Amino acid sequence: MINLHKKNLIYKIYVWLPIIVLFISVLNEFDFNYLNIEYFSFNFPFMLIFYFTLKENLHFDYFLVFIAGIINDVVTGFPLGISSLSYVLICLFASYLRNITIRPNLIKDWFYFLFVISLINSINYSILFIVFSYELNFVYYLVNNFFTFLLYIFFTFIFNYYLRGLSE
Amino acid sequence: MASSRDDFVIAIRSAFLKKSNKQKFSLLTLAFLSILIIILSSLDIKLVRQTRNVINEIVYRSSFIVSYPENFLLNSIEDIVEYSSFYKDYEKNAIEIEKLKSEKISNKIIRSENEELKALIEDYSLTSNKILAKVIVDHNSPFLKSLIINKGSKDNIRIGTNIYDRNYLVGKVVEVNYTTSRVLLISDLNSNIPVSIAPGNIQAIVNGDGKNAGEIKYIKGNYLNDIEDKSIVYTSGTGSIFKSGIPVGRIEILENQDLKTFKVNFYSSFVQLKYVFAELYSKREEIIKEKIKNTETVELKTDNQNQYLTTTDRLKLNLLNEQIEIYTNTNLKLLNENKKLESKINNLNSQLVNLQNKITSQNKVINQNKVDTKELEFLKLNLIYSKKCKKNFTNPKGFKFGTKEYRDCVINKGKIQ
Repeated sequence: MINLHKKNLIYKIYVWLPIIVLFISVLNEFDFNYLNIEYFSFNFPFMLIFYFTLKENLHFDYFLVFIAGIINDVVTGFPLGISSLSYVLICLFASYLRNITIRPNLIKDWFYFLFVISLINSINYSILFIVFSYELNFVYYLVNNFFTFLLYIFFTFIFNYYLRGLSE
Repeated sequence: MASSRDDFVIAIRSAFLKKSNKQKFSLLTLAFLSILIIILSSLDIKLVRQTRNVINEIVYRSSFIVSYPENFLLNSIEDIVEYSSFYKDYEKNAIEIEKLKSEKISNKIIRSENEELKALIEDYSLTSNKILAKVIVDHNSPFLKSLIINKGSKDNIRIGTNIYDRNYLVGKVVEVNYTTSRVLLISDLNSNIPVSIAPGNIQAIVNGDGKNAGEIKYIKGNYLNDIEDKSIVYTSGTGSIFKSGIPVGRIEILENQDLKTFKVNFYSSFVQLKYVFAELYSKREEIIKEKIKNTETVELKTDNQNQYLTTTDRLKLNLLNEQIEIYTNTNLKLLNENKKLESKINNLNSQLVNLQNKITSQNKVINQNKVDTKELEFLKLNLIYSKKCKKNFTNPKGFKFGTKEYRDCVINKGKIQ
């Protein structure tokens, strides 16, 4: 496993990796859209934010999550603040789950994640459609929701691996 | 029961308000901040706009840098695939070039014909001024079909500027920053393009389908059955959103049971756009806009009712006024020409009458001449054959001098019938 001195630069990068990955993913829209597979898209930031808020990562700063949301809005062309609100709401729900959970269970977390992303995507869609009069395809939202939910388990294993590396 | 409610309240409070380790802001503060930003971004305030522009500039550039490794990788894969099919492509291209050469000649003829016809109808043949722009961010998002180009207000790009891939329509600028702009692709759900469909010159509106094609949503009049498969779709210029005559795509009729849908396959593929052309406002357009502005201010001063008109209505009215002016000018020209032609016709008619008189007088002279020559001939023959034809003692069968029979006898050289 990674055994690094705490003052090492690589260690620092490793510690801040979730935030770095979050920023890269919002700047680059990490969702494999370039594969041009119809009806395939997922929201990687949702999974990352939910997981690391749930695990109460010390270096997972909410303010930086908020900034990442602003960047995501600029990149995707949505009105400023929409993604920030979504990300902060995910943090809120994850934080609430963390506070009420005594014995964490992956399957419970997984379905709670489905509830959270469905709610947030609905809020997102409603604001864009009602307030900003955006024409959006609801099917894309459903597909995105489904694949984000589906892939959460897969990314959970990768994130667990990362956390194990950090603790060691 | 009370304790579980307490637990819930504690959990909520700690989730919303508590700042955990190293957190600078509570989640509730950030949520309110997000809502405030949403409200501010919905308002059109100069300060917010400028701040947004600065954020856009920084984020677009950062996004371009961050996307570089991914783009490099994708381009490399593309290059490898291209190299592997290099020879086949070369052969295909050679055949295609030959075809295109012949098509180019016919295109030149059509273009010159078109220009002549446009000049005839005194249409606005605006000189387009296109600049090349690089696509710096294109994430092909399934929600909003847009891309970022590296040209902004510094390069005279404005909201509504038409964007092309070669000569085909790609979209229009919806957001302008100092050095960058966002282009809304015509395949986006929010995109509406007023188009004409040829053959038939059917007016319609094309909406993006949110993928990579379009769909006809509205047709002016009942011409649904007149649209043919593979019909050409080009911009009509209605509403002054897009310039008229820009090729958009071809119609594909999809029939699903009784439902008939008209899909528009765009000429340009938006999947891999690297460079696009932005059409800048030409000087003539500026003058037209200036004129419109001036007339608007005059109208506003003189007529209070015009205050209720919307800007688009005023623009339409001004365009119609200009059209009327053009028509009246052409009418005046035609009237003048008509007058000139009428006087010419009168002159020619008088000349014709004179010439006809001349001809009749000349005909008379000719006829007279003919008569004279006949008489001369008769007199000549009379000298010779008068003895044979004249009635006297020696020639009782002859005729009396001066009669028709005598004359015939002389002409027949003394033969009595």
